[in-house]
Amino acid sequence: MSSGAANPALAHHFESLEKQAHAQRLGMWLFLATEILLFTALFAAYGVYRFLYADAFSEASRGLATWMGGVNTFVLVTSSLTVALGLDAAARGDGRRSGGLFFLSIGMGLVFMALKAVEYRHHFASGELPGQYYTAGAIAGSGGALFFTLYFLITGLHAFHVLIGMTVLGVIGVKSWRGAYSPEYHVPVELAGLYWHLVDLIWIFVFPLIYLI
Amino acid sequence: MSASHASTPARHGHAAHSHVARYLRVWLALMVLTALTWGLSRLHIPGGAGVAVALAIASVKGGLVALFFMHLYDQRGANRLVFLTSLVFVALLIGLTLLDNATRFPLANPPDAGTSPRQVRDAILGSQPPATPHPASH
Amino acid sequence: MSPLPASEAPVYAERNYLNTPATGLRSWLTTLDHKRIGVMFLIATTIAFATGGFFALLIRLELLTPGPTIVDAMTYNRLFTLHGVVMIFLFMIPAIPSGFGNFLLPIMVGAKDVAFPRLNLLSFYLYLLGAVIALWGMIHGGADTGWTFYTPYSTTTPTKVVPILLGAFVLGFSSILTGLNFIVTTHTLRAPGITWNKLPLFVWSIYATSIIQILATPVLGMTLLLVAVEHAFGWGIFDPARGGDPVLFQHFFWFYSHPAVYIMILPAMAVISEVVCAFSRKNIFGYKAVAYSSLGIAFVGFFTWGHHLFTSGQSAYNAGVFGVLTMFVGIFTAIKIFNWVATLYKGSISFKTPFIYFVGFLFFLFFGGMTGVALATVSLDIHWQDTYFVVAHFHFIMVGSTMMGFLAALHYWWPKITGRMYNERWGLVAAVFVILGFIFTFLPQFLLGNEGMPRRYFNYPERYWALNVASTAGASVLAIGFTIVLVYILVALRHGEVAGPNPWGSRGYEWLTASPPPLENFEEVPEFRRGPHEYHDLPGEAAAPAAGAAPGASHV
Repeated sequence: MSSGAANPALAHHFESLEKQAHAQRLGMWLFLATEILLFTALFAAYGVYRFLYADAFSEASRGLATWMGGVNTFVLVTSSLTVALGLDAAARGDGRRSGGLFFLSIGMGLVFMALKAVEYRHHFASGELPGQYYTAGAIAGSGGALFFTLYFLITGLHAFHVLIGMTVLGVIGVKSWRGAYSPEYHVPVELAGLYWHLVDLIWIFVFPLIYLI
Repeated sequence: MSASHASTPARHGHAAHSHVARYLRVWLALMVLTALTWGLSRLHIPGGAGVAVALAIASVKGGLVALFFMHLYDQRGANRLVFLTSLVFVALLIGLTLLDNATRFPLANPPDAGTSPRQVRDAILGSQPPATPHPASH
Repeated sequence: MSPLPASEAPVYAERNYLNTPATGLRSWLTTLDHKRIGVMFLIATTIAFATGGFFALLIRLELLTPGPTIVDAMTYNRLFTLHGVVMIFLFMIPAIPSGFGNFLLPIMVGAKDVAFPRLNLLSFYLYLLGAVIALWGMIHGGADTGWTFYTPYSTTTPTKVVPILLGAFVLGFSSILTGLNFIVTTHTLRAPGITWNKLPLFVWSIYATSIIQILATPVLGMTLLLVAVEHAFGWGIFDPARGGDPVLFQHFFWFYSHPAVYIMILPAMAVISEVVCAFSRKNIFGYKAVAYSSLGIAFVGFFTWGHHLFTSGQSAYNAGVFGVLTMFVGIFTAIKIFNWVATLYKGSISFKTPFIYFVGFLFFLFFGGMTGVALATVSLDIHWQDTYFVVAHFHFIMVGSTMMGFLAALHYWWPKITGRMYNERWGLVAAVFVILGFIFTFLPQFLLGNEGMPRRYFNYPERYWALNVASTAGASVLAIGFTIVLVYILVALRHGEVAGPNPWGSRGYEWLTASPPPLENFEEVPEFRRGPHEYHDLPGEAAAPAAGAAPGASHV
């Protein structure tokens, strides 16, 4: 595109759209690094307590509805695919398709949240709650309560990030649909995608650690 | 601001052609690996090995997402460096913290934790714990 | 650029960032200009410093006598907690990076602004929000846990720990955004000619600081959140009664807070690298060593947190590992000290206020750092842990080094920021008060700690009385020194001599533009051909500056 005028998306302190896009991507990766470290503290707590209460954690994990975790994994991974396809469409200038694919991903995010809600309902009903509220009593000692404390912290924080991700996808999806982006400039689509993929990436580790081992 | 910059079609570090086929292949691999990790979990591989297998598969899946969905495969070094560096610190925090609890005098761990030396050995090697636990020897 | 000939009077740049694009409170509060944001951070952090210092004076007043002096024990606990929280989260972490870093970093890389100016403004508002939340907690009684919030007390105390935790959580985001901005700016906005090997050393150290901010702060955020959740809901992650491990909190807390002390010292080192070159008119000895040692401190600093847990119940094995790793991090500081001193050799020393603070910084960093290495020895730490020895050690670094670095920065860059010089004679007077006051405040504390006086104690046995009196006397002198600085520096705003673009004759890139700088930093971005600390003349350049050489020359 050679209109001779600078793309309005170009900020005054960047010398080119390409440099600006690189900066935005690097900024996003740095932010993702902070998100990774945020979850790491919880994973470390999980690691320590799984080590200390290995049997109790295994037993508690076996009591979870693994098939729900598995379905959720399939859903999230597929939503990552649709987001990636959405970016691809944006890169080819197809804003409608891109927005549509993002809305599809949001839909899958809603499925994820719905399944989690069902799971949480079940845990509330059977007294599988964090800390002092743990009344399920099937597991001896503190291991059961600690498992569910970490379960709710990790999946809760993750679900919170799913909500943020869905919001971001929604905002960018609408803008994409309305033609705000072009093959020359669609960095926001890319950045929104990166955030969603991170949410998926974290779940890829949460699933085996909480449900499978 | 020079106009010639605006006229260059934006290159994003990957070629302008479509990546749809690649994304579909990665998605398929992720599905297969998810099924694999679920299947292996049904075998109840004992102790540390089970955790290691699950984490290894998760790492491969995560790597695929990072490399291809998140485009680290075709992007500049700075982004890759940021991601890899964060992983080093993930390992650091989890590793050294776990090492503390794993190497403490057992009674310094929470009281009903399973951390006598024999229990730790059993956990890692996966053998059945004895009916009456032995007193912690140190 | 060659220094100005003496005959040319310095010029105050009339159209500069202070009055462009507009004046008035609203234009400042909605600014996207990194220089204005930097100035706002400097003002806010200075107010925070005064607040934390006020708490410190109350502490020292209480410790003037062995028994109760002016407050009771519960209040005393809150005082030292708030002193720590305010000083660390509201001053030490943000002051130099978000204040001077914001102002200078883009100029030093030849850019017009930071990469994300709106995120920059957001980081300032998050700072204010975090401060307000913490302040609310303070007004309602504050916390009495110590700034380290150790569990299980922090999860069960009836005091207002949750707002303080949340305030610190929000402040963490401010810190992360600043770090993110600086890393991206350094990677992507360097002007042509400024390669990684021609980056000013200030930028290298701020860059290293930013790496720590990105990687460590989220862990603190999570940890504080966990304490708040446990305090509010009793979920029991750190509660021994529920099978939790209170030492786990300490692991998480110090995983951030040890690298945090490097967030506090690296920016001061950044300043010193600039000051030492400018005031000895000499290129830094060992540019790469100084540059890479900043990265070394940033990374190796992450491997050492367990030395805070030597006496907490950590395994002996871990203690050994952390003890050895802690020794390594001292090497990088030693490299820097060696290189700074070597830079002075055969230099042309200019004994101005920034240089005086450098001298203080040097001795106190050396001494404080050595005591750090001593504390890293597990067997010695058993005796010193939780005594005034530790308190003295970290105050030697935080006040003796970081604060001196801050004051050096304030005096060195005051003319660039405001266009006016401060009164040099008053600068000397204040520096004497600050340095002597510092020595009398904190040197006795090493002795007290070694004699066994515990920290965070409201009362003490009579045999510690004399040294405590000495320490309080020193604190008063220190406070007078800081007050003198505040007075003459503010007076200089109105009545200071016009500074011109380069009153120090420094070769730093920021001195290539007018004082105060224009809105977009350079009227015309210079061609950067020489390094930022090069004081020898290039071949073909006259040894004496050419008559009529104009400021803001288009190449260096």
